[in-house]
Amino acid sequence: MSKGALLFAFNSPKYNYYEMAVATAKRINHFLNLPVTIVTDESSIPDNRNYTFDKTITTTPDKTNKRDWGIWINKGRYQAFELSPYTETLLLDTDYMVNSSKLLKTFDLPTDFCCHDTTSFLMQPSVSQELLSVYSFNTLWATVINFKRTNRSEQIFQCLGMVQNNFEHYANIHGFISATFRNDYGLTLATRITNGHIMPIEDIIPWNLLHVGKNTSVYRNNDHEFNTEYTVMFDNWQRGKIRKEYNTIKDTDFHVMSKENFMELIA
Amino acid sequence: MDTKSLITEAKARFNHNSAKAYLKDKYDSKFIVADQNGLWRANLETINFLTATSDAEVIIIDTFNNPVKVIRQELLDKLSVVYKTTMEEWYNEWVELEKNR
Repeated sequence: MSKGALLFAFNSPKYNYYEMAVATAKRINHFLNLPVTIVTDESSIPDNRNYTFDKTITTTPDKTNKRDWGIWINKGRYQAFELSPYTETLLLDTDYMVNSSKLLKTFDLPTDFCCHDTTSFLMQPSVSQELLSVYSFNTLWATVINFKRTNRSEQIFQCLGMVQNNFEHYANIHGFISATFRNDYGLTLATRITNGHIMPIEDIIPWNLLHVGKNTSVYRNNDHEFNTEYTVMFDNWQRGKIRKEYNTIKDTDFHVMSKENFMELIA
Repeated sequence: MDTKSLITEAKARFNHNSAKAYLKDKYDSKFIVADQNGLWRANLETINFLTATSDAEVIIIDTFNNPVKVIRQELLDKLSVVYKTTMEEWYNEWVELEKNR
């Protein structure tokens, strides 16, 4: 039995995902005491490495996915099952800020595969849950996945690959825009298909995924490498004016949607 | 610029409601306990039931809606500890945040 974390990180022209992965890996080592394997490509690996991953796996990235800001190399996540060297794997987005040991609980859940289906946003408690479309399902989130080496987990990841390759078809059925592939949407469909078009409650991590969303910025309260205290600032638009609001948080994991903000936090 | 100066310069106000929601979110997850092949929430309902019953083993529904046979005292002890420590942490952080009002 081996436990470890897996990160996918391919540098794009705009963002250094490898650097993000190094920062996240250090925090995983520190707070979760788990080894970390990175899946990346040769061109993302810097010449001077200041951190050694448990394992470095190189693949050829699929660069066909685009967002409004440029190339977004997020395809290929379905390979996590075959690439992971661990029997129990915590698969994380590189922009997930680990500040506690909370994720260790996902290894104790009585299931072989789990992910989040509900989110909450820092400073915006009333934001509703995301749907694939108004006619479709609640979105599952690929930001945090815990899986064991079972046939069912393998089938979910194989199905994720199938959905990725036929994303336009599923977008037509479920009424969402297919221009950009999203692992969240792919995972939502793959998990349901594999489970006979239902969503088993056991596959859901029983707490919310915490996002840092739009108009929200997070600042470190000190410069310690493993700082866990932050100030969150929110631009609350009211009657055409911005009212600045803040909150302080500590020992709380969160997912930073703004890559610029994440880079500031790990600088 | 340190975060205190940032707050002062931006004339930012402490958002009490979002602080409250954040704390609830944070501590909700800490009540979750995996034990005896079930997943439990250390809440008053479960703790009260386990306290009120005298059988050595009881069958109760876990958070995944599965009936699970458990050794009552073992689960009660575990849930009681988790409930007490989590509520204390929650309360202390709440008091600290309330000073920002």
